[in-house]
Amino acid sequence: MADKKKRRRADSDSDSESASQPFKNLLKSDDQILQILKSLASSFSSSSTSKPLTLADLALSTTCREVSDLSLSSVQSAIESLVLQLTRQILSGQGFSFTVPSRSSTNQLYVPELDRIVLKDKSTVRPFSHISSVRKTTITTKILSLVHQLCLKNIHVTKRDLFYTDVKLFQDQIQSDAVLDDVSCMLGCTRSSLNVIAAEKGVVVGRLIFSDNGDMIDCTKMGMGGKAIPPNIDRVGDMQSDALFILLVEKDAAYIRLAEDRFYNRFPCIIVTAKGQPDVATRLFLRKMKTELKLPVLALVDSDPYGLKILSVYGCGSKNMSYDSANLTTPDIKWLGIRPSDLDKYKIPEQCRLPMTEQDIKTGKDLLEEDFVKKNPGWVEELNLMVKTKQKAEIQALSSFGFQYLSEVYLPLKLQQQDWL
Amino acid sequence: MESESPVETKKSKSKTPKKAKESILKQKSPAEFFAENKNIAGFDNPGKCLYTTVREFVENALDSAESISELPVIEITIEEIVKSKFNSMIGLVDRERIDEALYDDYETAKAREKRLAKEARAQEIQAKNAALGKKLKEHSVSKGAKNRGEASFYRVTCKDNGRGMPHDDIPNMFGRVLSGTKYGLKQTRGKFGLGAKMALIWSKMSTGLPIDILSSMRAQNYISFCRLDIDIHRNIPHIHLHEKRDNKDKWHGAEIQVVIEGNWTTYRSKILHYMRQMAVITPYAQFLFKFVSDTPDKNVTIKFARRTDVMPPVPVETKHHPSSVDILLIKRLIAETSKQNLLQFLQHEFVNIGKPLAERLIGEMGPEFSPKMVVKSLTDQQIVRIHQLFRQAKFDDPSGDCLSPAGEYNLRLGIIKELHPDMVATYSGSAQVFEGHPFIVEAGVSVGGKDVKQGLNIFRFANRIPLLFEQGGDVVTRTALKRISWNNYKINQTQDKIGVFVSIVSTKIPFKGTGKEYIGDDISEIASAVKSAIQQCCIQLKSKIVRRMQAREQQERKRNLSKYIPDATNAIYDVLQEMAKSHASKKKRYEEGDTDIIRKVSDRLITKETLNEKLTQHVEKVDYEMALEYATQTGVREEPREDIYLQSLDGKGNFSDFHSPIFVFRLFL
Repeated sequence: MADKKKRRRADSDSDSESASQPFKNLLKSDDQILQILKSLASSFSSSSTSKPLTLADLALSTTCREVSDLSLSSVQSAIESLVLQLTRQILSGQGFSFTVPSRSSTNQLYVPELDRIVLKDKSTVRPFSHISSVRKTTITTKILSLVHQLCLKNIHVTKRDLFYTDVKLFQDQIQSDAVLDDVSCMLGCTRSSLNVIAAEKGVVVGRLIFSDNGDMIDCTKMGMGGKAIPPNIDRVGDMQSDALFILLVEKDAAYIRLAEDRFYNRFPCIIVTAKGQPDVATRLFLRKMKTELKLPVLALVDSDPYGLKILSVYGCGSKNMSYDSANLTTPDIKWLGIRPSDLDKYKIPEQCRLPMTEQDIKTGKDLLEEDFVKKNPGWVEELNLMVKTKQKAEIQALSSFGFQYLSEVYLPLKLQQQDWL
Repeated sequence: MESESPVETKKSKSKTPKKAKESILKQKSPAEFFAENKNIAGFDNPGKCLYTTVREFVENALDSAESISELPVIEITIEEIVKSKFNSMIGLVDRERIDEALYDDYETAKAREKRLAKEARAQEIQAKNAALGKKLKEHSVSKGAKNRGEASFYRVTCKDNGRGMPHDDIPNMFGRVLSGTKYGLKQTRGKFGLGAKMALIWSKMSTGLPIDILSSMRAQNYISFCRLDIDIHRNIPHIHLHEKRDNKDKWHGAEIQVVIEGNWTTYRSKILHYMRQMAVITPYAQFLFKFVSDTPDKNVTIKFARRTDVMPPVPVETKHHPSSVDILLIKRLIAETSKQNLLQFLQHEFVNIGKPLAERLIGEMGPEFSPKMVVKSLTDQQIVRIHQLFRQAKFDDPSGDCLSPAGEYNLRLGIIKELHPDMVATYSGSAQVFEGHPFIVEAGVSVGGKDVKQGLNIFRFANRIPLLFEQGGDVVTRTALKRISWNNYKINQTQDKIGVFVSIVSTKIPFKGTGKEYIGDDISEIASAVKSAIQQCCIQLKSKIVRRMQAREQQERKRNLSKYIPDATNAIYDVLQEMAKSHASKKKRYEEGDTDIIRKVSDRLITKETLNEKLTQHVEKVDYEMALEYATQTGVREEPREDIYLQSLDGKGNFSDFHSPIFVFRLFL
């Protein structure tokens, strides 16, 4: 009800506002937009009923490596047999070494049928008795022993906790985090199976009810900030929603705007953000929402190469964690905005656009070479435009038409016109 | 001498009409102008005056010795003169203060009250801190403001083995501003051609004492002595004494002595830096620097020894490049030329204009120009036309032959001599052009060394003199800080002791700022030349650094591997122990082959020590094998490095030099 009143008031004095908020007069009534969205949601849920493809379904010429969720006891056994193997090597006087699947970019493969990146089967040997690998090897043994402890005690710790067990050896968290990924690759399990979690980063708000460790959470009643996405997905269950779509937001600022304006009440939706590069928990959560609720996902990111990169991480996975892309990726995310073509279409003033740096342009050109961009001709066109105009803009550029332009004009109009790629 | 006549004619012209209005328009002599604007010549404050005096003397001395191809030997002495001594020098009696309140540093009753209260408070706090057992900070006793009248005076003496000066020219060379010899297009050290004259004006302003000059030329059987000061208003020398003395030692050169106000305390480090950097860029000179005062522990004596006897050639005077001249200069060249017609004028007064090009240029100027026209008859408009064409037409770049760079060899020697770096690389660029002036950039990069602080130490040289002030805006500083990615060359910008030496020589250095203390960053030709010169040095260094890192890796391999053994075996053993526990409590079953090890762990047949020992043995084996491999690959190239210096020979013999960028081979016949 509150929304309706607001709408009317906005309409009545729109004369003065339409000048400062361009294109507002193009907006149809909310009911009409809702109709469009409903037909989108229903067409989507009917089309996505087929079972998603897995790597095993495809007969690929190169063998690929994928990990799966393992039970604690099997993780423990895997570590123990590895340690025994190491012990035998040491006792025989040969030193010891690990065979670690390579996560370098040459060992990645984009599979168009799956629309995600997978890891090929190349491995590197990490011997203890070599000056360049001795540190990493030692850290690997240390992490293995720590994870073994977690298995015995059946508890979860954060990556930070892990790092603090031996700061002197790990030096900084980046190193222990990287080795943690190596370990899950080596053992063939997901990182969640290692009982190591990242601190909460993502938040969700909107028309979603789910259980977190047995407690029912209603995301419409979580205040302005929303609910922090639980770090371990196995706690989450019983998802229910009357939303018509999921809105994925790159940045905290845009998320706060939409949450405060209760955008999800005007157009039933679920709003998610990971505040920048998405963490594992947010990606798992998004995937779970999408597969269980069967909703279309629309993304609102900055109009710069990094916005698209973040979008690609949600969609096709990151190279760093491609070994688990099957669980982490959410296929078929639509790029709603802000797209390079929107800069002129919405007449975003010059002073809100930023010139791209050399580095930006390089990243943009590199992205054009990536398969996951190439598969979508619309994206290629947009990215070409960005590299050509050498201009970028953040979501906040829309605030030049008023802070609420994003939630009151831009997004509704985008939805009405079904303007996504 | 030249400069005076126009001044005087102007004077007579301008004075008469103004007098009628009774307004006083003063005509300034050049000496007066510089006396009033002494900051533009680097005489901003007493401290800087002392510094600039030293550098003007040193640079003059170097020029003088180089002009007769003599290896420079320069002695510079700064002698502190306390006030009472100074007063007695000028025949002034020291007077006690009678009316204390008259003086600026007099402490009024109110001020004293304030100070005493403050001191009492400070004491209280100190007592409290002492009671609390806090560490006592040395409490600085607040000193009264430094007396304003308390100036310090210094006698600066500079002795060289240069050309000397003709007896009769001495008064004019010192006592007349702008009567210098440095006016052609030539790479010169001096900035304005003021040199010692500014020091003389400063001494006149601050102490009123005259300057003493001793000079003798080669094969001259007498020494000229001259004591003079300058009549600033008339810009003429005022001679106290001018005489000839015996020259028993067959000395040639000059010795100049001046007493000025200065400030050693604040400019001590600048002066010493200057001397050190001068020693870097002129390793063929020998400098003896002395500071003498009444308190012996303040005294400084530094000898910068000669490390080479190869001197860069004396820069030659060159003609102007057509792209670099302005209208005034064209007019001056026309006035001075001995050539009759336009064709000859173009052909002979400029570089890079041959006869065919001169003819084409004249054809392009328009119908009113012809090759045979008398050059002195050119109208102002016609000169402007020539100037415009010079600006637009394309000429060959001037060659760098007229320049005299320090030379890669000398730069390298200078760096090694003064910094003793661990490694050094030098590079000499080819001549390039900016606005018609040729320039050469030479660079050196050193790593390590003594008295070098961590991070970037930048040494800038322009026409072979060090630049010490206004470092921030300089093209060299900005390039080194912002445009070189040191990491790419395995150099750590914050941790390593990096010395960056850039020497730029040109017929015209594009200085910025009033004091001509830095070269602007806005000239892309110079900026890119500086960048590439530094990069070339870095490339040379990189391979050395990589090789050294490999050698170090060899030495430290065993230690670096061994240090991780406990961490690794602890981690493995922890897991083994847990396994043994669960095996004992039958929590978990293990396969047949595995139980063997687990049982041994339980029975303490396999312990942490066993693992440690086995791993250590392996590391030792690997280390031995790798060392062997390294040795066979590199051969016995581990040359012991030692500084060698060959004493210079009494080189009267017949010899010829073979030059290479990094050494000179002299063959005595």
